Amino acid sequence: MSANLTKQIFRPYTGEKARITRAYDYLILVLALFLFIGSFHLHFALTVGDWDFWIDWKDRQWWPLVTPLMGITFPAAVQAVMWEKFRLPFGATLCVTALLIGTWITRVFAYHYWNYFPINMVLPATMLPGALVLDAILMLSNSLTITAIFGGAAFALLFYPSNWPILGMFHEPIEYGNGQLTVADLFGFQYIRTGMPEYLRIIERGTLRTYGQYAAPLAAFCSALLCSLMYTLWWYIGKWFATVRYLNKI
Amino acid sequence: MATTSEQLPLLAENDNKVPWYLLDLPRYLKGFGILTVIYIGLRLYQGAFAVLSGLDSTEPAFEQYWMRLFKIELGVLVLFVTGMWGYLWFSRDRHLDTLSPREEIRRYFTLTMWISIYTFAVYWAGSYFAEQDNSWHQVAIRDTPFTANHIIEFYFNFPLYVILGGSAWLYARTRLPLYAKGISLPLTLAVFGPFMILVSVGFNEWGHTFWFREEFFAAPIHWGFVIGVWFALGVGGILLQGVTRLIELIDELEEKP
Amino acid sequence: MKTLLIKSVVSLSLILSLYALNIQTVMAHGEKALEPFIRMRTIQWYDVQWSKQKFTVNEEISVSGKFHVAEDWPVSVPKPDAAFLNISTPGPVLIRTERFLNGKPYVNSVALQPGGDYSFKVVLKGRLPGRYHIHPFFNLKDAGQVMGPGVWLEVSGNADDFRNEVKTINGEVINMETYGLSNGIFWHVFWGALAAAWLLWWVRRPLFIARYRMLQAGLEDELVTQQDKHIGKAILIGVPIFVLASNWMTISEYPKAIPLQAALDQILPLSAQVNAGMVDVDTLKAEYRIPERAMTFLVKINNRSDKPIQVGELAVANVRFLNKELAMPSQDNTDRMIAPDGLTLADATPIQPGEERTMTIIAKDALWESERLDGLIRDSDSRIGGLLFFYDGLVGERFISSITAAVIPKFN
Repeated sequence: MSANLTKQIFRPYTGEKARITRAYDYLILVLALFLFIGSFHLHFALTVGDWDFWIDWKDRQWWPLVTPLMGITFPAAVQAVMWEKFRLPFGATLCVTALLIGTWITRVFAYHYWNYFPINMVLPATMLPGALVLDAILMLSNSLTITAIFGGAAFALLFYPSNWPILGMFHEPIEYGNGQLTVADLFGFQYIRTGMPEYLRIIERGTLRTYGQYAAPLAAFCSALLCSLMYTLWWYIGKWFATVRYLNKI
Repeated sequence: MATTSEQLPLLAENDNKVPWYLLDLPRYLKGFGILTVIYIGLRLYQGAFAVLSGLDSTEPAFEQYWMRLFKIELGVLVLFVTGMWGYLWFSRDRHLDTLSPREEIRRYFTLTMWISIYTFAVYWAGSYFAEQDNSWHQVAIRDTPFTANHIIEFYFNFPLYVILGGSAWLYARTRLPLYAKGISLPLTLAVFGPFMILVSVGFNEWGHTFWFREEFFAAPIHWGFVIGVWFALGVGGILLQGVTRLIELIDELEEKP
Repeated sequence: MKTLLIKSVVSLSLILSLYALNIQTVMAHGEKALEPFIRMRTIQWYDVQWSKQKFTVNEEISVSGKFHVAEDWPVSVPKPDAAFLNISTPGPVLIRTERFLNGKPYVNSVALQPGGDYSFKVVLKGRLPGRYHIHPFFNLKDAGQVMGPGVWLEVSGNADDFRNEVKTINGEVINMETYGLSNGIFWHVFWGALAAAWLLWWVRRPLFIARYRMLQAGLEDELVTQQDKHIGKAILIGVPIFVLASNWMTISEYPKAIPLQAALDQILPLSAQVNAGMVDVDTLKAEYRIPERAMTFLVKINNRSDKPIQVGELAVANVRFLNKELAMPSQDNTDRMIAPDGLTLADATPIQPGEERTMTIIAKDALWESERLDGLIRDSDSRIGGLLFFYDGLVGERFISSITAAVIPKFN
């Protein structure tokens, strides 16, 4: 199937042939944009969802562990095809950008305009810095192993610090109801959600396991290890789905 | 969108605004427009009636505004699937062995448009209305599998993208030689995997009835949907199949400025 | 195409608005779908009162009341180790500013004790004008939502006038409606712009077919140029440095930031209000006559108080069956379902102090059916539960006992 070309006989397409291939590029880009908004967003919403939906779920223990771990999946799978077959190092950035487009549209038009939640209560997290670094490492190293180890780790380690500038101010303490809350907790209390009672939050409950106050870095390093493994797994999942086989029957 | 080779010369002569390989571009854009109107219309309907009549499934107003919509949706979907799949099948090209490279290229572009329309429907089903479901669960107390958002998400959006994905599959099978000769594994995965998301609705409703009442979105009872959507990655394989075949076909074309 | 789209959306909106003129707002919130045995044998609400039902944006109102946690907690429902007193609103049209359980502030979740009695109060503030049907209800972990009685609330005024200002421990007054929003948008736009630039950097060149051919031809070196690599290195170094620097600056700006707070509130039940030892009730048998829509209880009542008492009311789920012979002032101003003459006693004479009487009580009304409580006889758990209210007719003192029994259906 594949076109067997060599350096010696290679001639780039020109004229109409070039226009045909460029038109095909644009069609594929539109297709890919909606595909990844739809598919990656569904995957993300149903694995990380609640941590990303609500400001009072973004904790130090689970959020920085689960989000990069589930977030590195589609980027790895798409990189496997985009890099191996086209040497295009934008798989991760494309997926995460698509995810954020879908997320922002929903936060504004569903949560805010339909159901009246203030948008600051449903601010999404960003994984874009990690995605940019992941793409850059793949491009520079041209190596699955190096990208999995260093790119996967960077994707996880950069997650919490890149979101803290968005989130930090929501962790200011407030005296409320004879106790202290964060501003984020207060959103959860004040802005009524019928289907999201407080007890449903899977967040750091505070035990000795947090070794004092170092919960977030520990979670991030654990996530770094898991992301390296997850990256490799999803690279191969991406390759497997990108099969070009034709079957005789299904 | 499905133009047979016999119709091509006539259409190409009548419409010279777009190049021959993008003959179906106007229909493609119309497809986007129609879907946009439908989805925005459904969202406006929710905005107008969900709080007023969609909070309790035992109320007569719920029957009037939501169950009626559900039945209308089913009717429209049945008509659409019958008409579209029937048309694609019965207008199939029975002379694929004589297909010119130029026409085959054009059909690859049309297949890409079909898959693009499919992924546009996947956007509305997998992104907007899917996450909106969580938002609606913060408003309504869940008392039925047919909530004001499920009626649109599960019973319209899901079947619609399945129908559109199936149309893309049928288009390829009936109009492109390689897809007619063998069954494309990645195209089949990309269409049948997300189809399983529709089937997962059953698992979801069973789970919420007997196992887990809370609407925690990341809960395992929702992972059936997640696994289904992974199969959308089959589009990578469709792209590679398209690219390799298009290179062969383009190489057969004459050079033109 | 654009005109067609606009025309279609406008026509659709017109049709929708005409359709909207014909609508009656519903007042229920899906409570009838919950199995009757859960509604009747978990949270047993009573004396629910709203301070006000018409108010303006920014005005505070409260709902207060009591509930008994049923002793006969259904085996299929997880024990209420974590419960959250909530309010059924169609989105945050009201905000919850304070909440109390047994007089104590209560922000997180709480463990309830079966058999325990509790009083509650929730303070709400108008946010969006409109007319809403609102209930207090409990989210019970893994069990679902058990609704209390509701009322219509009318919020008037202008949504733009809504203010929700809170003081942090540092003394800063913040506006919850907009706090952190522009900062959040800034960071998303900033990273989004960088990502878009990276994507456009690649997308501007011929992509799939062209690059695939070149790669197959061994022209890999031409696909990623030195300039691309320089940009890649700049990303590799610049992005982490920038992330760590902005993180460090945020830490410096908010040095007092604390983790999310997630402790389970610890609130003990009140001293016994129901089954307080004055009137003991043992439910010997319960039969539901389907054609008559009547539940017949055979109960043994032991009056251990020093006052003669009479049965005044039976409350099951959110339905109240009243004994019309014993009109007592209601302590409940909600629009819960009432059967004003729904309660019939086989022996209506007062039960004297020290007397033990076995008697039949019939609760009869179509509400069994319309509220879907009769579904009990088709449930896997067909036990009923409720509260029986006794009154001393002379001084108006009230005694409450819980009842519970398996229900036997009678089909003719």
